[in-house]
Amino acid sequence: MQQPISAARKRRRTSPWDSVALLLLAAPGIVWFVVFAYGPMVGLVVAFKNFNIRDGIFGSPWNGLANFRYFLSTGDAFNIVANTLILNALFLSASLFVGLLLALMLNEIRGQFYRRFLQSTIFFPYFVSPIVISLMLQAILSGVGGRGGMVNDLLNVFDLPQLSWYTTPGAWPWILTIVKVWQLGGYTSVIFLAAITSISEEVYEAAAIDGASRARMAISITTPLLLPTMGILVVLGVGRIFFGDFATIYAIVQDNGILFPTTDVIDTYVFRSLRTIGNFGTTAAIGLFQSVVGFVFVTAAVLVQRRFQRESAIL
Amino acid sequence: MSSVDYTSGLAGPGKGVTASQGITRRRRKLRRAGEPFTVISYVGVSIFGLFCLIPLWMIIAGSLTDESALARTGYSFWPQPFSLTAYQMLFSGQSLFGGYAASLFITVVGSALSVYCTASLAWVIARRLPLVSGPLTIFSYIPMLFHGGLVPLYLLVTQVLSLSNSWFAVILPIMIAPFLVFVAVSFFRQLPEEVIDAARIDGAGELRIFFQIVLPLSKPILAVLALFYAVTYWNEWFMPLLFLSDPDRYPLQLILQNLIANVTNAAALPGATASQAAAPVYQLRFAMTVLTIGPILLAYPFAQRFFVKGITLGATKG
Repeated sequence: MQQPISAARKRRRTSPWDSVALLLLAAPGIVWFVVFAYGPMVGLVVAFKNFNIRDGIFGSPWNGLANFRYFLSTGDAFNIVANTLILNALFLSASLFVGLLLALMLNEIRGQFYRRFLQSTIFFPYFVSPIVISLMLQAILSGVGGRGGMVNDLLNVFDLPQLSWYTTPGAWPWILTIVKVWQLGGYTSVIFLAAITSISEEVYEAAAIDGASRARMAISITTPLLLPTMGILVVLGVGRIFFGDFATIYAIVQDNGILFPTTDVIDTYVFRSLRTIGNFGTTAAIGLFQSVVGFVFVTAAVLVQRRFQRESAIL
Repeated sequence: MSSVDYTSGLAGPGKGVTASQGITRRRRKLRRAGEPFTVISYVGVSIFGLFCLIPLWMIIAGSLTDESALARTGYSFWPQPFSLTAYQMLFSGQSLFGGYAASLFITVVGSALSVYCTASLAWVIARRLPLVSGPLTIFSYIPMLFHGGLVPLYLLVTQVLSLSNSWFAVILPIMIAPFLVFVAVSFFRQLPEEVIDAARIDGAGELRIFFQIVLPLSKPILAVLALFYAVTYWNEWFMPLLFLSDPDRYPLQLILQNLIANVTNAAALPGATASQAAAPVYQLRFAMTVLTIGPILLAYPFAQRFFVKGITLGATKG
């Protein structure tokens, strides 16, 4: 409402020197975006080329869709796309569910000190690097030479057979999901808690007069009022579903081929083919495929979000 | 002097916090003691808290446990038998200090560049200048939607910019997070317009306004940006993995990654046991991990509230 006024005021005072000064301020950021965000987009032409280092990006001969055909012919395409979708869907739903649950329960905790302590504690894993997570997981699951480890020792206590986890692909979607919940549960709960503090107190007072229990309030008042926040997080998560969390998965699985059937996602596949095959053209083709599908997902997500949540849309 | 600026910058959010504390206090009165859900909540969150801390404790305890015990189990909950061998080895070798030097350079130089570039770009966007801010918003937003991908980035850094083996190859590709640009924009738009207008009337130019008025008023958001970037740089291992080949330039995360990969390879061989190796590999890995996350652990109690603020600002911006 007051924008037109202030904009007009600014325009009146803008001298040529001021424009230069503002350009100077924005320049480093603009240059960075041009080189490191838009530059690689131009570099995607490599996907349609038979790339070799000698001729460079623009000198290498074109080869049409051969790179894409090669990718499809390897038979890996279906597997890695399916894994990317399944794993990210698992990660998203599990971390949102646990985050919501933690926020509801944290909201019940009275002692300010204990509450803050718990919040800091469950938020901490967000700052642990993928490599460190990978190391923790090895200590928990594998111990020495694929045997031992904390979980197997626990299984021993209950007379259950030990498992060689790092050679059991079927378990890994769940293990990775637990890792993700560990990493993001607290982070997600912070977002939900921020939304909870904005809920009007009167609703709870009315509910208390009607004799509602705290559990009833959490289920019938807080949760429905958190649905918009939940919606935003779901939409953002779905939008990013094709850009899986490469770092965590690669740090954990590394080059352990036995686990690829269930854990290989587009990102890890791209990185591995870049390093082992060294075929830039094919690898760029997979990357382009990922970017395009990812773009469709993100754009759809943003449009859905803007359609339903005009006031909190990103732009 | 600086504390005054700090509070004035915080004015908006600060009031919000006091209000919500008031609400919690009233809400607490409504709560009857010993409700099942309250009890479940205490137990539930406490268990999740333990779940978050146990792996961390395991690392610390493991780093102080003698290799003879670790080689049997691979983990440890109590440093028994106690041993400082791994730390002694790490501190007498060169690679730890090299790793710290690399990680510190990447983190400090990287965060400084990141914060400056993010804040200055965000300020120009936040000014709502006709014909400038709108296009710049879209310009900074598109990279959140569409990525060039790994291969073009790799070619850009190695072939076009020839940055292989330079620490800047780690810093530059991740220097600006578009998301944080928008977090900063939403903060700048909350700054009191009158202060800036007053400066303008007094004849301050755009540069003076940004450096002498906006930045001092924006210390809270600068701290948020600095911390987010610093953690990202400190934890980054993928860019070093891609672009650094000289082990003398490895940051801590990459040294750790090599330590893990080597032990995994050794342990995967049939019949091989780590205990046959001369060096206490397991204990070394744990000790190296402790030293790697040490700075984050030490800074966390002080920095944590800034992260919460950053997330909240990012999640509720509109």
